[in-house]
Amino acid sequence: MPAAASTRLAPGERYLARRRWARVGWIYGSLLLVGLLFIGPFFISLTASLKDNPLEWPFRFQFPQVSPRNWSAAWRLGIQGANDPWLGGWTYGSQIGFEVAYFVPRGTEPTPPQITIPRRKPGAGQGAVIDRPYAADYSEASMPQEIERKPFVYKGESGQLVRYRFQVAYARELPNPEPPEAALKHVSKPRIDRLPADLESPRGQIFISATLDPNRLERRGRVASWDNLTPGYLGYTFRNYVRVFTESRSLETGRSLFLSWTLNTFYFAFVRVLLTLLFASMAGYALARLYLPGKQWVFLLILFGMMVPAQVTFISNYLVLKDGIFGFTNLFGVSTLLGSISGLILVGAIGIDKVFIMKQFFESIPRELEEAALIDGASTSTTFFRIILPLATPALGALTILTFQGAWNEFFWALVILSTGPQNAYSLPLGLYSFRNAYGQVGDWGLILAGSFLSMVPIIILFAVFQRYFVESVSFSGLKG
Amino acid sequence: MKKVVVLLFALAGMVLAQTTVRLSGFGGDNVPVVNGLLNEIVNPKLAKDGIKAVYEPVEGDYTKAILNALSAGTAPDLFYVDIFWAESAFASGRVEPLDSYFTKQELSAFLPNLMQAFTYKGKVYGIPKDFNTLALQYNKDLFDEAKVAYPNQADTWESFEAKIKAVQEKLGDVAGFCVVPDFARFGAFAYGTGWRPFDSQGKTVLDANFKRAFEWYTGLAKRGAAKPAQDLGEGWTGGCLGGEKAATALEGAWIGGFLRDKAPNMRFGTTFVPLDPQSKKRGNFTFTVSWSLYTGSKNKSAAVKVLKAITSPEAQQWVLERGLALPSRSALANNPIFQRSGKDAELNRTVFLGSTALGGAVLPYKFAAYGGDWLTIINEALSAVITGQKNVDQALADAQARFDKLTGK
Repeated sequence: MPAAASTRLAPGERYLARRRWARVGWIYGSLLLVGLLFIGPFFISLTASLKDNPLEWPFRFQFPQVSPRNWSAAWRLGIQGANDPWLGGWTYGSQIGFEVAYFVPRGTEPTPPQITIPRRKPGAGQGAVIDRPYAADYSEASMPQEIERKPFVYKGESGQLVRYRFQVAYARELPNPEPPEAALKHVSKPRIDRLPADLESPRGQIFISATLDPNRLERRGRVASWDNLTPGYLGYTFRNYVRVFTESRSLETGRSLFLSWTLNTFYFAFVRVLLTLLFASMAGYALARLYLPGKQWVFLLILFGMMVPAQVTFISNYLVLKDGIFGFTNLFGVSTLLGSISGLILVGAIGIDKVFIMKQFFESIPRELEEAALIDGASTSTTFFRIILPLATPALGALTILTFQGAWNEFFWALVILSTGPQNAYSLPLGLYSFRNAYGQVGDWGLILAGSFLSMVPIIILFAVFQRYFVESVSFSGLKG
Repeated sequence: MKKVVVLLFALAGMVLAQTTVRLSGFGGDNVPVVNGLLNEIVNPKLAKDGIKAVYEPVEGDYTKAILNALSAGTAPDLFYVDIFWAESAFASGRVEPLDSYFTKQELSAFLPNLMQAFTYKGKVYGIPKDFNTLALQYNKDLFDEAKVAYPNQADTWESFEAKIKAVQEKLGDVAGFCVVPDFARFGAFAYGTGWRPFDSQGKTVLDANFKRAFEWYTGLAKRGAAKPAQDLGEGWTGGCLGGEKAATALEGAWIGGFLRDKAPNMRFGTTFVPLDPQSKKRGNFTFTVSWSLYTGSKNKSAAVKVLKAITSPEAQQWVLERGLALPSRSALANNPIFQRSGKDAELNRTVFLGSTALGGAVLPYKFAAYGGDWLTIINEALSAVITGQKNVDQALADAQARFDKLTGK
């Protein structure tokens, strides 16, 4: 069809049509390129956060965590281990069956691999400090039994593929270590988070496959090592994401720190948004509409406040917080605002720039509406809350998203105020920073990547929901010039 | 009667009043460690004195934070001082000398090398919290596979090089060692020759001994015994060992935690840094951090009690049992934990003994008050030769010229 159409066009028109298509191509091409440029690193780091070794080079897009075969195996093993297909685990009375296959070159008699359930502790972070029950103390593994032998060619070398099967059972109970007086009466059979396993084969036999792909091959392929034989679907595919929640816990309460940080940040952002919405709109309205002697001077002062860099007021703000607003907070039994979320909320609770945005917006609302309300007998506050605020929804939406985003990502003040407090009072960005200090030193980047991705989720959802307002907010902030 | 009531009130006040001692140090995984120590050892011990110790970690740049706090007068009662910048902190007059709070006997219980590191102008300014030295880790599997004897403590540079060269040649896909352009590793060899970073006048002179070590270290890759870490895609020798890219590494006890995550099944052994074939000596660094007392502290006596408790044998035992750090008390050298068999115990034992006479010439990881400025000069010279941008003579001449400017000719 296009060919037939083009033959019917005059040469000039054909040229124009070509130009038109070229233009379309350019525009879409560059848009796609820009999109890829932004999504690319995003996608790569998301992929890396799923891997056992996020720094792996060359970068692979095919790895065990994205193979559907492993997903179903992890699901099944999660059910066998703790009746939990999602997060897996290891509970009393459970038993799992596991298969592995080795390639044995011709002329070598196959030797079954040696299985060990190691006592394994994380190398860094809180896992390294806190002792938790080890699967090794409670589990028994059977000798691997040969179940199949068939001819096989591996990298041009002929030999045979030998398949083994073994079982691991949660069969032992231990005397309960605490409380001591009940030691004889009670036995401990805790639910254990993970069941690590190592399978060692003699040199020359090559690991080919297993029910679940191992997390790493060590000692030049001789040892296949699993961090968890009963991971469940999430525990295998999103291992680092699960670790973010389970591995760092408060020393006092045992609660997941990451969860506390997320809740803290939500609380902080929520209160900050509410305060900003209320006060910025009231102040903006007063400046835009109400009769106030010296209003211009107040406005000038506000403009001046916007021009003072935050660094200048930083130390005085810090000192005020340190003394609990000149000792005022002592009335509530708090001697300092450092180390708590309330301090973070108070600092910059109402942004001057937000007042400015609201003032500009209120000035664009026709005065006649207020006059009509006045004639109907409405007071100033009724006019504000019943007439003006509902009209300001788009501006409030924009303010919400700007404030929420700012609060969610607030790092500087969080670092200053919260880092001297207890760890479970941290906000999310500060918590991630402490992850970097704790896990980065042993190169455990997977956990940090996963934490960062999780911290992005609320912002992405917010943008998806409020994107219309966000675009409008840009046009508002454009107004201030 | 009135007096009795007043006295009673005063007594009650003393009992009820709780002195809070603030401690500050690194964030990250120091947070659970120090809090564990405080909750399990220090606070129960001092509860009867009405003292409560609280840890205020600094996430981020600790050095900057503490130096700021010291000059602003907001410093905590007790804080970490890293040996690397200890001298400038002690010189500021904001750190309290501890000689009057501790008896000579109490101070002599700590490893002399470490105490020396925190002594400035004849006074003790910090009690070492823990420490690290360098040791040589090797992957036994790779040496077995290449049928080469393991490195041992009698190895000189030459015999060590012969071993790793044999491994690299026989295995092909593995380097013998991975070379990093970092004085924190190379320096151990330089100290073995008898060279010292500063001469008696406080100047840095790159003499013939230094050149011998420099030539040997930077030439390892060219002679086919090692590869530059960069070429293997790693930034430190531990990364090369953990990824089975190199057969040996030169690191401290910190490599233990890394290997536990990265290669839990690796059969690795640890031995001392190889000896200089000429001087028949080895060299080493001590990397250490102290607990120091702030001069402006309002409750010094309580802070000293906390300081004594947190560096007590029980506290160090607690840390050692969990494999978190090496104790700074010499008595703990005979601790059964060190004598355990197993690769982690061997690593810890060797690193611990690295600070004693067995370690040879052991110097603290500090460079007068020059710090990073001093290090950069040598590191750039190392890097230039390893990457082939300069030859040894040229690199050393350039470095000497820069040292002359920095430390005076």
